[in-house]
Amino acid sequence: MSGAGGTDAETGSGLSIFSKYDPLKQRASVLEKVGVDPFDMTFDDIMGPTRGRIGNREIILAGTNNYLGLTYDEAAREAAKDAIDRHGTGTTGSRIANGTYVEHEQLERDLAAHLGKPSCIVFTTGYVTNLAAMAGLAGPNDVIFIDADAHACIIDGTRLATNKTTVRFRHNDPENLDRRLSRQAITDGGHALVVIEGLYSMFGDIAPIAEFAEVCERHGAYLYVDEAHSYGVFGPTGCGIAEAQGCLDKIDFYSGTFSKSLASVGGFCASRHPEFELLRKVMRPYMFTASAAPANICAAQAALDAIKTRPELRHNITARAAQLHAGLAEMGFDLCAPASPVIAVRRPNEAQAAMEWNWLLKEGVYVNLAVPPGTPQSSCLLRISVSAAHTEEDVNAILSRFKALQDNSAEIMGEMMRRLQASA
Amino acid sequence: MPTDQQIFDKICELLKPYNVKNKPILRTSGIMSDLEVDSTAVFDLIMELEDHYDISVPMEVISDVKTVGELVNAIQDLLQQ
Repeated sequence: MSGAGGTDAETGSGLSIFSKYDPLKQRASVLEKVGVDPFDMTFDDIMGPTRGRIGNREIILAGTNNYLGLTYDEAAREAAKDAIDRHGTGTTGSRIANGTYVEHEQLERDLAAHLGKPSCIVFTTGYVTNLAAMAGLAGPNDVIFIDADAHACIIDGTRLATNKTTVRFRHNDPENLDRRLSRQAITDGGHALVVIEGLYSMFGDIAPIAEFAEVCERHGAYLYVDEAHSYGVFGPTGCGIAEAQGCLDKIDFYSGTFSKSLASVGGFCASRHPEFELLRKVMRPYMFTASAAPANICAAQAALDAIKTRPELRHNITARAAQLHAGLAEMGFDLCAPASPVIAVRRPNEAQAAMEWNWLLKEGVYVNLAVPPGTPQSSCLLRISVSAAHTEEDVNAILSRFKALQDNSAEIMGEMMRRLQASA
Repeated sequence: MPTDQQIFDKICELLKPYNVKNKPILRTSGIMSDLEVDSTAVFDLIMELEDHYDISVPMEVISDVKTVGELVNAIQDLLQQ
């Protein structure tokens, strides 16, 4: 057996350790041939929540999930700078070692109070939040029920959990969950943990959380809602879709991220069960990773204050999302869901979507390219995220590029074929 | 209780729309490797089987299934539970 760096011949297997990624390599190669690799692109500068720069070209940012546009908010920036001056640039430890500062605890208290829950725990990222909380909650006899379109961090959370069973139910379908909860005998003292999202980040569709809460109540199941993409954006006080649907008090576990509306990096999970605090002593992704940096915590705290005191941010994003959705619908684009801050335009295949993504970037608009297996129903999408910082003119500019995309479709596809043939 | 053959036939019927290259479906066919059904579509197929037989197929079971024959066996095991 050869050591690290052994060649195919040395291992005798005929394959290197990277061979399993050959299909991925081929796929990436096709994307490179049609232009900039959408999964490996770099901005030379970010000048604000809605503007970036590549070379000397200014780009409208329409794919950054900066829903409330607070990453450049003066209060958030000052709070982050002040935190660095007072506490330095990092915590160098986990929450259970030296990583808990008064700011972590203050933010936990404030998020809990905003959501009306007795307990809230802050984590280093949103991804880690779901990993830690789900794995901490589900024991060997419990069954986790997840929505068919669940985000990767929810799927990974089920993998880290010590339970033996995870069941998927049809996307946004409380009746289907009802049937599956009825089918699945929860025995040996186990419980059912149902995990859904408020706003689904690929299609931008909204869960009927209130109906899910009723189903869970009927079966004695615990309801876990990830409002990463909806906290700060929906609801009279910005508490998300559960608040908008009048069922926030029915949610057992409520998770969110700092990297969307809270304009920072980190995550949180709040619970109506005070015993949730016990999980601080068992959640490995909480116990064995460094805590969020003081600057991140203080920026999120400032963004939370903005969510609570500036309802106009929610009004702006709602208006801009409606404007963009209506404009694209009028042009006849196939949109995946009604208007929300996430607007997904369905394209016929991956190659065309990649070529159009490149064309839009060249024309000064950055959106997300989303392709299988990261998308529901194996869809190929041009995914747009609207920000409260976008102006009416910004949205008109985005719409004009999509109109030009539509008008130049034949030319764009012809160019793609020429590039692919030239590199074949 | 459906027979082994009936389950195989049902899986072949449900696989049709996902088998875009219309490859022959054998019990030894790899669902993803031979029939080129992507991972998202596999889950959709499983959900159709769950609804048809009124069973739940845990994700842990799906991750162990590679071929059509293994899927037949997994469904049969779940129906017998």
